[in-house]
Amino acid sequence: MAVYKRGYRRYRGSLTGRWARFMVLPRHAWGRLYQQRLVILLTMLAMVWPVLCAGFIYLTNHAELLQGLEQEFRQFIQVDGRFFSIFMYVQAGFAVFLAALAGPGLLAPDLANNALPLYFSRPLSRWNYALARLMVLVGMLSVVTWVPGLLLFGLQVGLAGGWWFRANWTLGAGMVAGFLLWLLVLSLVAMASSAYVKWRVVAAGISLAFFFILSGVAAMINGVFRVTWGHLLDPAWSVNQVWCALLGVEPPDGPGAWTSALALAVLMLLLAVVIERKLRPVEVVT
Amino acid sequence: MTGSASAEGYGETGGQANGQRPPAVVFEEVSKFYGEVLGVNRVTLNIPPGITSLVGPNGSGKTTLMNLMTGLIHPDHGRILMRGISPRDPEALMRITGYATQYDTAPRWATGFTFITTGLRLFGYGRSEAEERAWKALERLGLTDAANRKVGAYSKGMRQRVRLAQAIAHDPELLVLDEPLNGLDPLVRAETIDLFRAWAAAGKHVILSSHVLQEVDIISDQVVLIANGMIMAEGAIRDVRDEIEEHPSQYFVHCQDASAVAARLFGEDHVTEIRLNEDRMGMLVMTRDRERFARALGLIALDGHRIDGVMPADENVDALYEYLIGGE
Repeated sequence: MAVYKRGYRRYRGSLTGRWARFMVLPRHAWGRLYQQRLVILLTMLAMVWPVLCAGFIYLTNHAELLQGLEQEFRQFIQVDGRFFSIFMYVQAGFAVFLAALAGPGLLAPDLANNALPLYFSRPLSRWNYALARLMVLVGMLSVVTWVPGLLLFGLQVGLAGGWWFRANWTLGAGMVAGFLLWLLVLSLVAMASSAYVKWRVVAAGISLAFFFILSGVAAMINGVFRVTWGHLLDPAWSVNQVWCALLGVEPPDGPGAWTSALALAVLMLLLAVVIERKLRPVEVVT
Repeated sequence: MTGSASAEGYGETGGQANGQRPPAVVFEEVSKFYGEVLGVNRVTLNIPPGITSLVGPNGSGKTTLMNLMTGLIHPDHGRILMRGISPRDPEALMRITGYATQYDTAPRWATGFTFITTGLRLFGYGRSEAEERAWKALERLGLTDAANRKVGAYSKGMRQRVRLAQAIAHDPELLVLDEPLNGLDPLVRAETIDLFRAWAAAGKHVILSSHVLQEVDIISDQVVLIANGMIMAEGAIRDVRDEIEEHPSQYFVHCQDASAVAARLFGEDHVTEIRLNEDRMGMLVMTRDRERFARALGLIALDGHRIDGVMPADENVDALYEYLIGGE
């Protein structure tokens, strides 16, 4: 039997670092996600609005191009908190659809195939695994959210000059923080639905419906009880409230930014608990 | 993460080279409950290197034992040491452990090569090292031709082999394999058993579960019989058999004049039963004392009776299973 003639030499070489090992999962997942035409199409579509915004920034910084337009209109089109909040609303919408498209394929197949023991019999903890999956979504959604946002911010700084950066750096920081908050909420919702529903299409549907249903419930509560705290059940509304505070934009009526942030923190905690309960290496029979 | 220091540290096989006792898999009073359901109860084991088979009916706790060994679940009570490493230190444990579950876990979209390489990258091997090891593991399991085909296109036996390949690819000192021979054709099965033997001969642990008792018989250095979450027996098959006093040992005796030999054996008080073969060329003898039975047979042979062969009839896992678990 040939196997006796072979035989392994014990490995004495160097090992890659923790970070490199951690990145193995996201790298593979991104590779697979970007093989999907729909993901690429949606990502490309999501770039249209940033390109238009870049054109807008160019226009506002070239006064000669605006000559002939009314003074009132010229004052209206400015790169400020309102501009970035509009940019963020549109990109946030694309992020919802991308998360619903990509999220369900992250956990459901591993759970359906009982593949978790395979991961956890490597030097990889449950939290490493969950974080790696979260990173897949956050990384992918970053491409259509804060990354183009930061490029637009950079473009504006480049065209307007250093004085604009010193006066408005909080817009850039607020935009990145606001997007990251939204991406975290979206990713956790997608992961939780993927952990609970092993059928990808249904999981995607749940990811989308989550926001619409909670928005409807919030509106119903507000209408029936004539209150405004019902908005806190709507994560999209709460995130918007936090964004307004971060960008210095007039917020809509309702609970303040801190209360909304607290509501989001509770929601994310609940979603993390759901994921933690499902990400078990073995089926626990009780 | 430090590089070579860690790798070399994990690479040592323990005290064997220093003249100390070989590293063992130790369970001390280990219990695991799933809510109110018993997983395993007060399990105490000391498994030396070699091939050890976990044998027991469905739901007896074999997979729970394996999950405890690999740190996928932790005991509610008791202590486990896998070659000196606690499963609560997964970083260290997983470097010396190869695990293959009973499930078809390999992703269908990946090629066999990608599947194994990815696993190795998670262990911390660099790309070229991972690829080299993946090829070796695939070669060892006879999968080189199918290496670049998707796992989804593999047959059941090939998927089983690729699972085994990922378990051995990092050269672990401890292999934990849940039903590793399921779905393998006879040739590959024999090669795989040889692989286990080679592994065990190098002072490593191969711990596997199997329902095929004849196979367990052939490959195991020791067995762990488990039923209802409790260990019924542990050790080399013959030693376990010796411990079972309520069932007399059974031997096939092949001889020319079976009736005369049987008559002589009936005179021995340790012989409880004799069943003559229809052709009168042999018999099945049941004895309560193996040593005295051997002596008696020797004397019969010296008296001129031709004894062609003596073979134990129940020194196998089948019999142990029947005696210890069959009545459950």
